[in-house]
Amino acid sequence: MGKNRKTRISIIALIIVVLIVIIGYNYIYQDHRNIEKEKATFSLSADEISAEFSKDPDTAEKKYLNKTVEIYGTITELNPMDMTLNNNVYGAFNISLTATTSYHINSKIKIKGRCIGYDDLLEQVKLDQCTISD
Amino acid sequence: MKKTLFLMTLFIGLGLSAQSKYLTKKGTVAFEASVPSFEEVKASHNSVTAIINSENGEFATLVLVKGFRFKNALMEEHFNENYAESDLYPKATFKGKILSFSMDKLSAKKQLFLINGQLTFHGKTKQLDNVKANINLNEDGLIEISGFFLANATDYNIKIPKVVKNKIANDIEVAFDFSLKKK
Repeated sequence: MGKNRKTRISIIALIIVVLIVIIGYNYIYQDHRNIEKEKATFSLSADEISAEFSKDPDTAEKKYLNKTVEIYGTITELNPMDMTLNNNVYGAFNISLTATTSYHINSKIKIKGRCIGYDDLLEQVKLDQCTISD
Repeated sequence: MKKTLFLMTLFIGLGLSAQSKYLTKKGTVAFEASVPSFEEVKASHNSVTAIINSENGEFATLVLVKGFRFKNALMEEHFNENYAESDLYPKATFKGKILSFSMDKLSAKKQLFLINGQLTFHGKTKQLDNVKANINLNEDGLIEISGFFLANATDYNIKIPKVVKNKIANDIEVAFDFSLKKK
C-alpha cells in the first residue's frame, strides 16, 4: 500500500512540475500584442489627436501611449511601409502597402495602430503596427 | 506658446533653412545588451526621425521609446516598464554636430566622420564625443549615415536588478542607420 501511495504522490508531483513548466514557458515566451485584432480604445480624426498632443503633450501621452487607436484622415504622404495622414499623423505598417491597397495621395482612409508618441521634430503623432481598417 | 518657443529655439538652434535640411522618418536604431550563452537582449526601431543641416553638420534625432521591438514580448514589456520607463520618458533624443562636415566632402564612397553631441534617454542627458559614423551620398541623393557606439546603462540611471545582472550587459551597443532625403 505504501508503495502505491508513493507512486501516486510522485505522479501528482510530476504533473505539477509539468504544469509549472508549461505555464512558465508560456509566460516567458508569450505572444506579442496583436494590434490588428485588438479593438481600438479611441477613434478620432488625425487633426483631433495631433491637436491634443500639440496643446498638452503630457495629458495626451497619458491618454494615448501604447493604446490601440483608430485614426481617420486624408493621405498626404504614401510610402511602401508607411503613410502620413493630414500631414500630422504618421503610421508605420508591418506589411507592404503597395501589394494590398489601391489607396493613393488624397484618399480618405481610416487606419488602426498603436500610438507610440509625439514627434516634436516633425510635429506628428506616430503609430506603429498599423493596418487599414476602412 | 511653450511649443512655439520650443520650435523657434529648435529651428534657430539647428539653423535650418529649406535648402539645407535633410530628413528621414524611417531611420533605424537598434541596441543590444546580450551576454554570450544567454537569451539575446536586443531590440530595434524602424521609425526614428533624424534631421541634418547640410550647411553646418548639425544633427538631431528623436526616438519614441515605445517603438523598440524585441523578439520576446515579455522582454519588451519589462524594457518599457522597468528599464526605460517609457510611460514617464517616452522620448530619447540626440542633438549634436558632425565634425568638419560639408556636402562637398561627401561622395558615393563611405567616409568616416566624428559626431559630438548629447544623448538623452530615461530622463538623463550625457555628452557623447567622437562617435564614429560612416557617411556617404548615394546615387539617389540621399545622405546615408551609419555607425554604432557604446552606452553605459548606469549613465542613464537604469538599474539592472541583481537577479538578471549576469544576463544583461551594462555596456549596450547602440547601432544607427539613417538615409536622409533633401527636404
